[in-house]
Amino acid sequence: MNDLYLALHGVAIKKHAPAAAVAAVVGLPLARAEELLQQATASGRLVDAQSGYALTPAGRMILDNEYSRAYEDLRNDAAFGASYARFERVNTALKQLITDWQTLTIGGQQVRNDHSNAAHDAAVLDRLGALHESFEPVLAQLAGGLPRLTRYAAALTNALERAESGATQWVSDARLDSYHTVWFELHEDLLRVLGRVREE
Amino acid sequence: MTPIFGQYLLAIDGTSLPDRQLIGGKAWSIARMRSLGLPVPPAFVITTRACTAFLDTGSLPATLGDELATGMAWLEAATGGTFGGGPRPLLVSVRSGAAVSMPGMMDTVLNLGINDATQTALGELAGDAAFAHDTHRRFLDLYARIVLKGELAELDPQATATRWRADITQATGQSVPEDPHAQLLAAVQAVFESWNSRRARKYRQHHGIPHTLGTAVTVQAMVFGNLDAASGTGVLFSRNPLTGAPAPYGEYLARAQGEDVVSGRHTPQPLSALAQDLPRVHAELLAAAAILERENNDVQDIEFTIQHSQLYLLQTRAAKRAPAAALRFAIDMVAEGQIDIATALARVTAEQVRAVLSPCLAEGAVAPARLLAQGEPASQGVGIGVVVENTDEAERRALAGEAVVLARAITSPDDVHGMLVCRAIITEQGGATAHAALVSRDLGKPCVVGCGTASVTSLVGQLVTVDGGSGKIYAGALAVTVPDENADPSLVTLTQWAAAAAPLQVLAVAPPGPVLDLNTVVGGADSTQLAGLLAGHAVVRGGAIASPGGVRAALAAGVKIICASPRLPVLLAACEAARELQPQIANDE
Repeated sequence: MNDLYLALHGVAIKKHAPAAAVAAVVGLPLARAEELLQQATASGRLVDAQSGYALTPAGRMILDNEYSRAYEDLRNDAAFGASYARFERVNTALKQLITDWQTLTIGGQQVRNDHSNAAHDAAVLDRLGALHESFEPVLAQLAGGLPRLTRYAAALTNALERAESGATQWVSDARLDSYHTVWFELHEDLLRVLGRVREE
Repeated sequence: MTPIFGQYLLAIDGTSLPDRQLIGGKAWSIARMRSLGLPVPPAFVITTRACTAFLDTGSLPATLGDELATGMAWLEAATGGTFGGGPRPLLVSVRSGAAVSMPGMMDTVLNLGINDATQTALGELAGDAAFAHDTHRRFLDLYARIVLKGELAELDPQATATRWRADITQATGQSVPEDPHAQLLAAVQAVFESWNSRRARKYRQHHGIPHTLGTAVTVQAMVFGNLDAASGTGVLFSRNPLTGAPAPYGEYLARAQGEDVVSGRHTPQPLSALAQDLPRVHAELLAAAAILERENNDVQDIEFTIQHSQLYLLQTRAAKRAPAAALRFAIDMVAEGQIDIATALARVTAEQVRAVLSPCLAEGAVAPARLLAQGEPASQGVGIGVVVENTDEAERRALAGEAVVLARAITSPDDVHGMLVCRAIITEQGGATAHAALVSRDLGKPCVVGCGTASVTSLVGQLVTVDGGSGKIYAGALAVTVPDENADPSLVTLTQWAAAAAPLQVLAVAPPGPVLDLNTVVGGADSTQLAGLLAGHAVVRGGAIASPGGVRAALAAGVKIICASPRLPVLLAACEAARELQPQIANDE
């Protein structure tokens, strides 16, 4: 994809985000991203809403067409497809793990985790570390087919290390580039590349 | 006297309590339970000395194999079983255990000792060949993942053990040794190697734990709860962890293994089932729970298995507890003289009190209400508003001050900006791990998921009440009550204790004189900015002052009085902040 489409893709992944966040997620220099985002806004592909940029219906359509063109080879690549299947397996485990981070099962009932039980939190964080390590080779394989995905490895590692150092809001806080936030963006990115729809 | 097998092995028989540093936390707690006369499956420990020898030389001590053989012979004598043979096969668990628990250490390998011969014997013993076959599969799966560190697709439950071994060899490039002694040695080495895993090293660095300490390895006999009608498995809480009532609370499943409970294949029964089936064991279990609670001075969560009418305690730990239970435990245990007030205050968090004081549906409000939809409760709390489906519209109307409930077939990151500002989130698809559920819990918003096709998007424009705790959506705005901290005797008592212990005053109403109102100060709602804003102010209210970060900042800035309501969460946060500061004070002296 050229830089313009890459910027639009960044908006699709980041959702209602300012230029800096869009630039970071797709790896464009900030000035270049700002220029492209303003250009795309002028041509009606984006709107500059109060919380950040968003795709217009026209922008969405143009981007979807570009995905099918740019990623046709990847969509037919068996190795990439197999790596994606491995991502899906880890994804199921990750969603359960985040749920376990947020809830406590007490006497058979689920209640909100108030983070008063240090042993529970430490055990879930330990599992997150193990999941991350087992996922690293999968992400490396995916990035072998699409090098810009490498960016997610750094962002996931950053979130994990902050959480491990005690800033546990980096596990799942939707307002930060937490592990879950970055994971979700990666998932969204892969779905767009492969032209699939998310299922729950 | 504790049997010692050579240089590196100790039996854990309760006759002495060896140094925690030498045998690790897990073996130490087994030894402690045994020394209290409690029934625990027999175990021995490979000490941290073996680990440090391994770390020094890069290989296991030469004598370790012989010592392990002696240890296993002792375990065979203690259990009447045979390791690697019939008719009563001895299977063991192998677990890592340093003096301090840390991330990145090897997970537990269970059922080590099973092979084709012992599978047959175990099947005959349990009268259940399928169980023995599945035990074999679970062992091979764990061994391949944990010891061989391979990535493995799930082993086909229908296949033969020969096939499983072939699958593992293909996936990992290594084979599982036939000889259980060789498996044991490999598992021990894998534990020692995990001491130097990236995460374990980082954890030690962060916490100033020397890399030279090493981990111990606990080898413990497996017990089976599915051998006959006088066998079973369950968990026991020494008090009710949901309500806090001072009565034992538990679940029991006759003729079953722990994984049957975890997998949800079988529904456990209340503890009364055990009292009926095996009254003597039930009495013994309750007595053990009372001892453990008294020894640990906290409510215990105990995993147990009964094998041929013999009770075994597998693990005990401080029980996880619901907010209301945390409160009651603290009050009751002070009254009973088990803990002092300082300990009680340390066991109730500000967040738990806020949960107890959070708004809930008024009594009698639900009965006459019209139920519009229901789904899976995903995040607790009550939210009332007008249903909006379009996320951008929801954001716009919420920011304009309207109470809205966001209803979506499914949510995605596209919807987060609307989720941030709405009163509740309801969806048609997905379960407890759906995007909507994960994000709502994180934001502390009420959420109900999976209400069914067209069930909630069809409510657009209606005023509804969402009860995230029950998963129900009602027509109209139901009455909501906010619990009063001055009306509940437990909260009143705790408030008195906390007020006496807190390093600053918390008042519901501001005293006469100058008050800094952080609601009127730029940055006052951000606890990270308070340090600069509080200097020179004695009395503060508003903004982020009542949050834990705000209370810490107030303490650091020398604030004398915080004005906030409810008071108790702020008082508890102040007590906690003071506890965090204490070690520093000690160091300064």
